[in-house]
Amino acid sequence: MGVAAAKEIGPVQAEEMVLNIGPQHPSTHGVLRLKVKTDGEIVSEVIPYIGYLHRCFEKHAESITYEQVIPFTDRCDYLGSMNNNFGFAVAMEELMDIKVPERVEYIRIIMAELNRIASHLLALGVYGLDVGAFTPFLHMFRDRERILDIFELTCGARLLYNYMWVGGVSHDLPRNFDSICIDFLDYFEPKIPEFNELLTTNKIFIERTADVGVMPAEVAISYGVSGPNLRGSGVKWDVRRDEPYSIYDKFDFEIPVGSGDVGTLGDCWDRYWVRMLEMMESCKIIRQALKTIPEGGDVHQMVPKKIRPPKGSIYRRTESPRGDLGYYIISDGSEIPFRMKMRSPALTALSVLDEISAGWMISDVIAILGSLDIVLGEIDR
Amino acid sequence: MTADQEKLISEAVEKALAGDMDSINAIEDRSLRAKAKAALVKAKRAAKAEQKTETSDDAKSADSSVPQEPGSPLASLLTAFYPGEIVESSNDGNSIQIKPEKWEEIAVFLRDHADALLDQLECLTGVDLGEGEELQVRYNLHSMKHRHKLEVLINADRNSPEIPSVETVWRMADWFERETYDMYGIVFNGHRDLRRLLCPEDWEGWPLRKDYEEQKTYHGIVVPKVKEGWE
Repeated sequence: MGVAAAKEIGPVQAEEMVLNIGPQHPSTHGVLRLKVKTDGEIVSEVIPYIGYLHRCFEKHAESITYEQVIPFTDRCDYLGSMNNNFGFAVAMEELMDIKVPERVEYIRIIMAELNRIASHLLALGVYGLDVGAFTPFLHMFRDRERILDIFELTCGARLLYNYMWVGGVSHDLPRNFDSICIDFLDYFEPKIPEFNELLTTNKIFIERTADVGVMPAEVAISYGVSGPNLRGSGVKWDVRRDEPYSIYDKFDFEIPVGSGDVGTLGDCWDRYWVRMLEMMESCKIIRQALKTIPEGGDVHQMVPKKIRPPKGSIYRRTESPRGDLGYYIISDGSEIPFRMKMRSPALTALSVLDEISAGWMISDVIAILGSLDIVLGEIDR
Repeated sequence: MTADQEKLISEAVEKALAGDMDSINAIEDRSLRAKAKAALVKAKRAAKAEQKTETSDDAKSADSSVPQEPGSPLASLLTAFYPGEIVESSNDGNSIQIKPEKWEEIAVFLRDHADALLDQLECLTGVDLGEGEELQVRYNLHSMKHRHKLEVLINADRNSPEIPSVETVWRMADWFERETYDMYGIVFNGHRDLRRLLCPEDWEGWPLRKDYEEQKTYHGIVVPKVKEGWE
């Protein structure tokens, strides 16, 4: 060996490698393509390519009436359909100055919070799957199933509900809803410590998620990241509390934020933990709502025969399971929206991926992506 | 209607106007109760109309004396520092239309000035104001510290729409500007990576413009026409 041999082999190769992940890969949570530039195993840049599920929601909305837009919102974020309906209904009611009956407000909040639990259950279960834990996924899907059963009982659909209309809801609660819902909560609440034992405090899980993908608060705010991802970075911001809509100001609930207990503030584990705590808060809200919900009255009382909002525009955001879900609606006084923009919380969450995953390994990128809880249906619209 | 009944109604309406609806609800006779409610609505409408004429009078007098008084602290802040840049300000001052030229500088000012601190870009929306009209971009800003909001509107020419990019001011604008470019063809000057976001890179035309016409084929695939109306 010597200089001659080294010349023969050539100098050490230190070129950048490009790895393509997706678009058909389970860990991308839908149809997403990531172009990952790596130096060895260390990631230097992640470029997401989106649009595989683009269905022109906004263009469609300009050719259909306002009532017909609601089923489209279901199909944007198909894991939090109730919350999508809710946001649209709230924005429209603000634009048209409609005051919905109190019972409807209560029903909506119960449904929205149940859907939040279902969505978080899926997010957490699938996140376990992303980092290699299979069992918690089954446990969480088993419980999510029970929530879907409640939805089926209420409105006949399990995934895409078209439940919240402008001015009301499509069906009143079924007769024995109270006891069914309380049964579920009594069953579900003790399950959370079980999940914690299975996954949250699991040593391997902590190794995979703590200190990984740290997102500082300023970065999160600048990127427009919202919801559990923003709260994971320690920012106490929740639209339900800070810009109250519907009757959220009547309920007593905490806003859980990340604390950096296990790793650094704003890491993957914090984002995961915020979701776990939020499910408990949702249970609390549902219990309060069930206790004080007024009886009787027609849930269709304030549903307009024809939705024809006055000329004007409105931007209203609400708290979906993924964060600030905003609707920008411009009305020209006709029955068809002039412009309908949906501000997707998952889109902003995905846009921060490159910023927080540089310097980590390829397997960590998967862990970071999973912790952001994106839904591609909503990103591509 | 007897005089007694009339008196009962007028009393109940007066109480209801003061905020006590129970007095109307307590009327036992159904038709009387309905009449009382009708009278209440009438009284409320009259009060509203009165208010409206008052405010419009105020607006007129303000117009003639001083050049438009902006309605919110943020609007007056902007008027004080960039008087030449404001095109129009809404009555409540929550929405301001500005000229595009200095937008990037104004954006930094709005984000960093101690009285504004608009550190969160909530939403960025492109709008086509109609066939043959201008294009518009609307920025919804929010301050996490002061908890106030401002909407900034910027118009762009339809044939060569150009607006300075604020992608480095609020990082969120990066993808939202790309989306707006994708859908409306608005070029954000200074954007470091202005590509289409949702449509394929070789797609033709700007889908969300009102006069958009789909391309006939895409890589040999026939593009279906958008149906006129739904049945």
